Amino acid sequence: MRLQLLRIILPVALFAGLIWLWEWSVAYWEIKPFVLPPPSAILAVFETDGPSLLASAWTTLGTTLAAFVLAVISGILLATLFASSRIAEAALSPYAVTLQVTPVVAIAPLIIVWVGLDKAWLAVLILAWIVAFFPVLASATAGLKAVDPNLRDLFRLYHASFWQTFRRLMIPSSLPYLLSGIKTAGGLALVGAVVAEFAAASGNTNGLAWRILEAGNRLQIAKMFAALMLLALMGVILYALLSFIEWLLLHRWHGDRRNT
Amino acid sequence: MTHDLRLDRLAKTYPNGTAALQELSAEIEAGAFVSLLGPSGCGKSTVLRLIAGLELPSRGSVEWPRGRAALGFIFQEPTLMAWASAAKNVALPLELGGVAEADAGQRARAALDKVGLAGFADALPRELSGGMRMRVSIARALAAEPAVLLMDEPFAALDELTRGKLNDDLLGLWTERRFTGIFVTHSVFEAVYLSQRILILSGRPGHLVADIRNPAPYPREAGYRTSPAFNATARDILSVLEDVST
Repeated sequence: MRLQLLRIILPVALFAGLIWLWEWSVAYWEIKPFVLPPPSAILAVFETDGPSLLASAWTTLGTTLAAFVLAVISGILLATLFASSRIAEAALSPYAVTLQVTPVVAIAPLIIVWVGLDKAWLAVLILAWIVAFFPVLASATAGLKAVDPNLRDLFRLYHASFWQTFRRLMIPSSLPYLLSGIKTAGGLALVGAVVAEFAAASGNTNGLAWRILEAGNRLQIAKMFAALMLLALMGVILYALLSFIEWLLLHRWHGDRRNT
Repeated sequence: MTHDLRLDRLAKTYPNGTAALQELSAEIEAGAFVSLLGPSGCGKSTVLRLIAGLELPSRGSVEWPRGRAALGFIFQEPTLMAWASAAKNVALPLELGGVAEADAGQRARAALDKVGLAGFADALPRELSGGMRMRVSIARALAAEPAVLLMDEPFAALDELTRGKLNDDLLGLWTERRFTGIFVTHSVFEAVYLSQRILILSGRPGHLVADIRNPAPYPREAGYRTSPAFNATARDILSVLEDVST
């Protein structure tokens, strides 16, 4: 119990200490606020620009979640197709891989031109989806292929239908793989959304990345930090939430995975 | 309930060119306990997979003169679903066969009772020992009351004591249910202890080299393992194996 308490107290104390050191250093060495603003100035930004920052955060979060959900659904569907047909996998996987290895920043301008700047949100959604989609596909495909061949034989022996085999064998046995892919996809959806917003570089997207660009151009460094903090917070919450879901679904038959 | 089984010049060559089995012919009467004995790589497991219909023969056929029997299969590994409780694992063949969930659950618990796992119905496989997992696997194979039970070296990975205990339990279940037992093993002593008849396979591709009857009556108790009758049968088999390996 004491150890667990320490695991919470120590990081919090370290964080508080670092913030204090930051505040003190800025004052002591008289660092210019447009180089490194003190924490108090960043906090002040939330008072003046809070609503607009939160609105932007909301936009980015919306794009992230939508891209994430689309990535999970499409990844699982395509992985199922790959697992049930080798021909489909041979024909389609090169495109999936090509899409994955091409840097999203390089594709972004093209997608934005195709979709049109007036629908920049759609371009951002597509780009975030491209980034988040691949880990789901890869992990679900690996999971579906890792099913114990003896168990597969057992299902065949008892004349299980495709649907019975899928629901009772394929899904549960690929779940650990799939969930780790989904966890990665959550973080990547956020990365994808932000990168796409940067690439669009337009007030139309109105996300946090745009706030960062805008504040950077006006040398409002404190505001940049504030936006950055919101992004980091969002990423951490997303990751924690997905880890918790993973734990919820797996801890019973895989042992406690909270600490891994 | 009684189904004879006839293997007619059964042969299997895998698509990659490996010849696993060469012309195996044998008749197995309903209710018999037969062992397929031989060194690894002689196609014993292939025979089981052909009987189960998990593979198709390259030549020859598996015939069921009185209709195809309901089958149970016990693999070398317990082959349990790690995410499901012992009872859920045992209920699987029943549920796949369309038995209602509640009914299947009850029969699964009864089957677990039979193999001495009464208190472990809700345990997950990872909470059980190797021997207990094998018992779950046996319970699952028997839950659907198959007429033919195919066993592919089921106890090979277990320690000697657990293995002996499971052999006894298996014979107990067989005496009670009288399914046709086809047991693959590479242990001469296990084959003698369990079976009425021992088919010895050898070579690559495997073929039948001897068909030995073991007349010792059932129930066979622990004393049988050290009796002269046991030794005589084991000696017969060992001499056949020595002949083919030289």
